[in-house]
Amino acid sequence: MSENQLEIRDLHACIVDGEAILHGVDLTVPKGEVHALMGPNGSGKSTLAKIVAGDPSYEVMQGDILVDGASILELEPDERARAGLYLAFQYPVEVPGVSIANFLRLALNARRPEGDEVGVMEFYQKLQRAVAALDWDESIIERNLHEGFSGGEKKRSEILQLLVLGPRYAILDETDSGLDVDALKTVAQGVNAARGRDFGALLITHYQRLLNYIVPDRVHIMAGGRVIRSGPKELAIELDERGYDWIREAVGA
Amino acid sequence: MVLETALPALGAGALRALTSQGEPDWLVARRHAALRTFESTPFPTNRDEEWRYTQLERFSLAGLESVAGPLTDDIGEGIRRRIADSDAEGVLVHKGGEVILSEAAIAEEGVIFTDLCSALREHPDLVREHLYRVVDASQGKYAALNSALWSGGTFVYVPRNVEVALPLGAFTTADRGGLSAGRTLVVVDVNAKLTYLDEYTSEPFDGRLFHSAATEIVLMDGAKLRYVSLQNWSRNVAHMSMIRAHLARDSRLESLSVSLGADAARTEVECRLEGPGAEWEVLGLYFADRGQHFNQYTLQHHAADHARSDLLFKGALQDASTEVFSGIIVVDEGAQRTDAYQTNRNLLLDDRSEAVSIPQLEIGANDVRCSHGSTTGPVQEDQRFYLMSRGLSAEVAEHVLVTGFLHEVMGRVTLPKVAEYVEQMVQAKLGVPGVRERL
Repeated sequence: MSENQLEIRDLHACIVDGEAILHGVDLTVPKGEVHALMGPNGSGKSTLAKIVAGDPSYEVMQGDILVDGASILELEPDERARAGLYLAFQYPVEVPGVSIANFLRLALNARRPEGDEVGVMEFYQKLQRAVAALDWDESIIERNLHEGFSGGEKKRSEILQLLVLGPRYAILDETDSGLDVDALKTVAQGVNAARGRDFGALLITHYQRLLNYIVPDRVHIMAGGRVIRSGPKELAIELDERGYDWIREAVGA
Repeated sequence: MVLETALPALGAGALRALTSQGEPDWLVARRHAALRTFESTPFPTNRDEEWRYTQLERFSLAGLESVAGPLTDDIGEGIRRRIADSDAEGVLVHKGGEVILSEAAIAEEGVIFTDLCSALREHPDLVREHLYRVVDASQGKYAALNSALWSGGTFVYVPRNVEVALPLGAFTTADRGGLSAGRTLVVVDVNAKLTYLDEYTSEPFDGRLFHSAATEIVLMDGAKLRYVSLQNWSRNVAHMSMIRAHLARDSRLESLSVSLGADAARTEVECRLEGPGAEWEVLGLYFADRGQHFNQYTLQHHAADHARSDLLFKGALQDASTEVFSGIIVVDEGAQRTDAYQTNRNLLLDDRSEAVSIPQLEIGANDVRCSHGSTTGPVQEDQRFYLMSRGLSAEVAEHVLVTGFLHEVMGRVTLPKVAEYVEQMVQAKLGVPGVRERL
């Protein structure tokens, strides 16, 4: 069973030389499923996402993260990516001077053995499919990575990269925040295109709205650095109706 | 850090060799006067503001004699390839102070492109009118040195209303140590237009070379010039260059100075905007590695009103290299409605490298827009993490980030062939296998 899942086991973590943020997170996303992670601001959702991806500004004190049964705790961020993990950033950075196309070719080739670089045709077909899935204009791939992009375009780029790179597990960190409904639908369309037997995803979101378009298999609620409740998709609707206050009370925050 | 005070090997003997070539009396007199100025001017020290952080010992002239011609007339594979790749209408190659190649097939009428000695014979009045007008012996020790001892030289003149479609350029190279001095004089007449490249390059050779380069640029009313200086000497060279320009009314200069090679290189880029409506776009790019020491000294001198200058210098440093950027904007009294901007950014790729950035303003008018800014720091961690989270190794991520950092300058270079070549050189310095394609 553990061969086919992203597993976070009793994870305790802090900011390097700073305060503790995660206090024992347990969470499992089986391959083939999409889970939602919800919770109030400051509950540790984004921190969890960054720690799974290997952000060097955090330190794991206890617990483990396993991809298909193998611990990735000791791996560098690039090694984690090559192990099949993907993080759609809440705030994607701008990198001037590097086109999306060239960047993605570098990223794809990093996953392949030397001398087995992705072919030009194969690469552009992948790109074209991804661009089409997002109803985007093809000229976008010649633009420099996020340079001058609007917030919505950056989020769309994160999904474009996901579709091209084809990870086994993706964490989407508030990809929906700041999007209008049209943009939200487009992003959801992209994520739904990635869904399948060999793909597991954790959607971090503050709002139930996204889950109207990407229906999760399970919903987890995080508060105070721990997952305090998990349940079926209806849990998200309950949250939306009742707000987060009852959760804060439940954890005594 | 006091250096030599007298340099007999560079002095009268070297001058005799130069002036015996039938130069006109006025030039011989100028050279002698410049030599006297050189001898009576003390070497700069770190107490001089303009030289405060310069590692002066790396520009030492001690023990050097004037280079008496090249060992061989071979142009070298590198330059041959560069010429074959270029779309230039005219090329000169200077080696060891002599002209070893001169090729020009200039379509436009009346354009002069030749070495300075030939120009002195063929166009004596024109050369006399402009030579030493922009760089002369009064400007300091090294300007005096160059004014006395330059040899070979390049002269370009574009007549009124003529637009030269393709670039002209000169290569300066060497195959033996010593002291050499070159001088370029570019005169673009009223409403004329030109693109000109000075490139300094060499294969490694025995001995140590100190090369002094002076470029004088005169732009008359409405003239337009794109000027590129590309320094990529081998590591046994100290390069001291002065690029200076006078801009008349409504003229426009786009300059790009690139420093990649040499052991130590100082590039002074100075412009006096003398006429209203003059514009200067000033780009600079450098990448220092393996202990190189670079200096960029810039002066945007606004002497006239309604003129504009915009400077952007960016560079990366690695392997215990050092860089000093010192840039000043001077706005004269009466130069109202000046727009002058200056930005310097340094990227430190390891903690053994160091960059000093000194921006300065001296504003004598009250209705101006001026700004300056500088930053020096390492690669941003969030950018590195982002790229690595996509699977790029730390090395490739850094490569992408350096390329991206320098792109702000390269993206403004309007000469694709130059941009491509500089990018290749930068890639070679970064040296990551598997990322050879243009990013």
